[in-house]
Amino acid sequence: MLIFSFFKTLMNQEVTVELKNEVSIRGTIKSVDQFLNIKLDNASVVDELKWPHMSSTRDMFIRGSVVRYVHIPSATVDIGLLEDATRREADKAKAGTA
Amino acid sequence: MSFFGFDAMLARDRGHSASAPGFGQTPDAFAGLGGGVAGDDDAIDFEDTYDGLGDGLDETDDAFNDDTFGGGPASQQSVGKDFDFAGQTSKIAHTLQEEQMLYQTQQPPSHQQRPPPPKPSKPARTGYESYHDPNYIPQLEARADIWGLKPKHPVPAKQPENQAPPPPQPAKKMMSLEEVEAMIRAQTLQHEEPAPVLIQPQQAQPPPLPVHPHQQVPHSQPHFPGIPGQGQFVPQILQRPQQPQQPQQPQHAQQHGPHQRSGSRHQQVHAELPGHSVQAPPVHHPTILQRQRPPPNEPSIQQHRHAPPQPTAQRPASQPRQILQNPSRLSGQGQPMAQPGPPASRGPAPGHSRGPSYPSMVVTNPEQLLHLSKEEREAFLAEDAKRAKRNHKIALLSKDNGLMTPQDKNFITRIQLQQLMTATGNLNEQTPEAAIAEDFYYQVFSQIRGALRQTPHQPASQFAQTYLFQTNGRYGPGRRHGRGADNHMQRMEQQVQRAVEAAKAKPKAKQLTIEGSLGKISFSNSKTPRPLLSMKRPESTDKQPSKPHKVSVADRTETLRNIENVYMTLMHMEDHERTLPAPINQDSDPEAIQRHMEWRTKIETLHKKLWDDIKIMEPINPNPLTPHPFIAILSHAKGKKAIPRIFRHIDEQERITILTMVVIHLDKLNVVSHGIATPEEPLSPALRDEIELFLHSVVPPLYAHIFESPLNIIIGLLGLILERNNVHVVARTKIGMSLLIMLISRAELLKQPPEINVVDWENWTELYNRLFDAVEPILPLIFPGSINDTDDMYVWQFLAAMGVGASPEQQQRLVIGVKDRVMETVGVSKALPPEMAGARLANVNLFMRAIGLDVELLG
Repeated sequence: MLIFSFFKTLMNQEVTVELKNEVSIRGTIKSVDQFLNIKLDNASVVDELKWPHMSSTRDMFIRGSVVRYVHIPSATVDIGLLEDATRREADKAKAGTA
Repeated sequence: MSFFGFDAMLARDRGHSASAPGFGQTPDAFAGLGGGVAGDDDAIDFEDTYDGLGDGLDETDDAFNDDTFGGGPASQQSVGKDFDFAGQTSKIAHTLQEEQMLYQTQQPPSHQQRPPPPKPSKPARTGYESYHDPNYIPQLEARADIWGLKPKHPVPAKQPENQAPPPPQPAKKMMSLEEVEAMIRAQTLQHEEPAPVLIQPQQAQPPPLPVHPHQQVPHSQPHFPGIPGQGQFVPQILQRPQQPQQPQQPQHAQQHGPHQRSGSRHQQVHAELPGHSVQAPPVHHPTILQRQRPPPNEPSIQQHRHAPPQPTAQRPASQPRQILQNPSRLSGQGQPMAQPGPPASRGPAPGHSRGPSYPSMVVTNPEQLLHLSKEEREAFLAEDAKRAKRNHKIALLSKDNGLMTPQDKNFITRIQLQQLMTATGNLNEQTPEAAIAEDFYYQVFSQIRGALRQTPHQPASQFAQTYLFQTNGRYGPGRRHGRGADNHMQRMEQQVQRAVEAAKAKPKAKQLTIEGSLGKISFSNSKTPRPLLSMKRPESTDKQPSKPHKVSVADRTETLRNIENVYMTLMHMEDHERTLPAPINQDSDPEAIQRHMEWRTKIETLHKKLWDDIKIMEPINPNPLTPHPFIAILSHAKGKKAIPRIFRHIDEQERITILTMVVIHLDKLNVVSHGIATPEEPLSPALRDEIELFLHSVVPPLYAHIFESPLNIIIGLLGLILERNNVHVVARTKIGMSLLIMLISRAELLKQPPEINVVDWENWTELYNRLFDAVEPILPLIFPGSINDTDDMYVWQFLAAMGVGASPEQQQRLVIGVKDRVMETVGVSKALPPEMAGARLANVNLFMRAIGLDVELLG
């Protein structure tokens, strides 16, 4: 599962998680599981004025299904490697169906 | 038909007795005597039969309890062993059945007689209808209704009722021994009288069970070795044997006398036995679906329970019973008895009718309850209620028990385990290959960037080679930025410098005049008017090659597909390389050698496939409308990125082939054909990216190869450039110029060693002159940007490389061509901060020193 594999490399990286309810949370990824549930440390809401009630929460566990985007630092992505990983994934899927 | 002239005041009892034991009523052990027969209300009208004796019971007088319950004087003999009905019956169940069958065949008439007397109108209620069918096979499970259970009780409604009545009822319900005896006597009398009506007693039987208080223990059926005759008999006429059992033996005799005496009657009883034998069945349970389990258990539970009720207040009994009933409901049994009489409202009579309800008592040892205080009893009852509730819940929950077969469960378990394995299993699988296959990105990523590997020879190094160094520059800002590119540029610069140094080392005789006379050197220009003449040629041919570059969608798709094939093959090769078996030597066992051979075969197959995939061997069409497939691959970013990886897997000859291919099509490459920048028309950012990428991915491997090539190959390549390409285009682009720099500087270096092949060198000189002549006219144009554009280092390098190999006369022409630029740059750099000025002057100086000058001289 490429996307899970990918998120595992983001461990301890600072990311911004954008939820489907428009809330954006910045924090350090502490763990990700195969459902892409995300555990954030040092989390803070990007727009504190709009979501003041979130400001007291430091550590969060975000259910994977409510995440819309995860903004990641580009430096943490190895594009060439990701391309190859994608190719492998596609190849595997093709082999699986064929 | 009233046996005792029971108090008939309660109309409800009818309904109640119809469904047998009242729910939630206090149990009356002797109620059954009165004919409160489960499911048999039609046969005996309770109200008609109830004599009200129950009202006279003195509950407070326990003096005879021992007799009644077998504690004292009532010895084993006196009690008799005839109460273990189920156990006895079960032992001889088949015998009973046989007997029945026998009887049926022998005496059909009497059998048929049976229904009419009681109440022909509702034979259905007897519960024995099934036995009319000779083929009938009794159900193999206990019938709850036999025990007088009522399936449907509005539980909540009853409880309150039950609690209210307790005080008064106890007094009424407990019959004194005398009363019981009287009842029994009356009963037996009645039995005897209507010979044909024999069935009545039988029908009354179900309730009787409760009557045996002492039998709780005995109920573990097997214990009592039935006396055949009695054993068979007993189950049916539960009450009868017991009633006699009490102190009065005579009566006992009396009772039995009649029964046994009338042969026909006896047989009738037998006929019915099978039905009872069916009760015994706890044995059968195992075969029954789980869901049905609760019911089967009931009977035994009930048996245990019925004793207590007598002694205790009646209200308690009702609660436990609810539990029991639920299960029975599940089993579908006891439905006929569903109607619970409204117990609370009952007067004295109710007690009797409720007789059958005893079974519900939970107390295992009746005596316990007897000695309990009221409070304790309450507590006990409350607990009982709790248990009842729990049992009810369990019954509800277990409703669907057994739906899944063990196979189903195993199947589910397997699936769940598999999911667990895929979710977490990778961590456990220690074979790195499997982990990489499943988790490629993470595994490789952490190997490349993670903690330093312990041993330098781990496969990680391969990944690092593949991914870390292949495409850096702007593509991997997080990594050592542009390392490969810098590397490449540095090496190029170094090579040029080395060439320059080498050139300086050999004194050039005619160069002296140049020193310090940069501005005046133009005298040599008079010899070569050519530049002016050839100025126009580049203009006309500049944009020519861009036309064939238009690529149809189909071609583009095809190209992309080719690239993907290349990548897949590359990855297969890389995967395969990781499985390289241990190196073999003479001592290796054949198996290892075999494995090695297989590996080699495989890698060669893949190698060949890769070579096919890059389409390099497609025939070269001199005037192609579409670019050569390999060149098309290079026009895509990912195609460019594949080159360094391809180079790792191909041999020397193939590298030369690729290099040649690139050189031949140099001006067809989009980075070259579109790569001409002018101060007025700078390159688009996208194209600049393309060029950068090409420089970082394609050029380095080519350069690495050129750097090791002998002169003849350099000559060949330069020749190809001059013959097959528009030199003006090539020389005005960064890529083209880089290639030229590499070739020229390499040639200059090759000039140094003594073993120069004279022929080669002459060839080279000739080519160089051709190149120089071709480039000279565009010297003013080779700078891509204005004077403020700092990205001109490669141009100075090119000039330096040209200058090193140039003859003095050519050097002068070079200087003339770029003189303005030199002066401008020097002038501009004076206004720049020292660092930048130093960099720019260094670039210029690279060229100046190549021709034996120095910017210092211009100062």
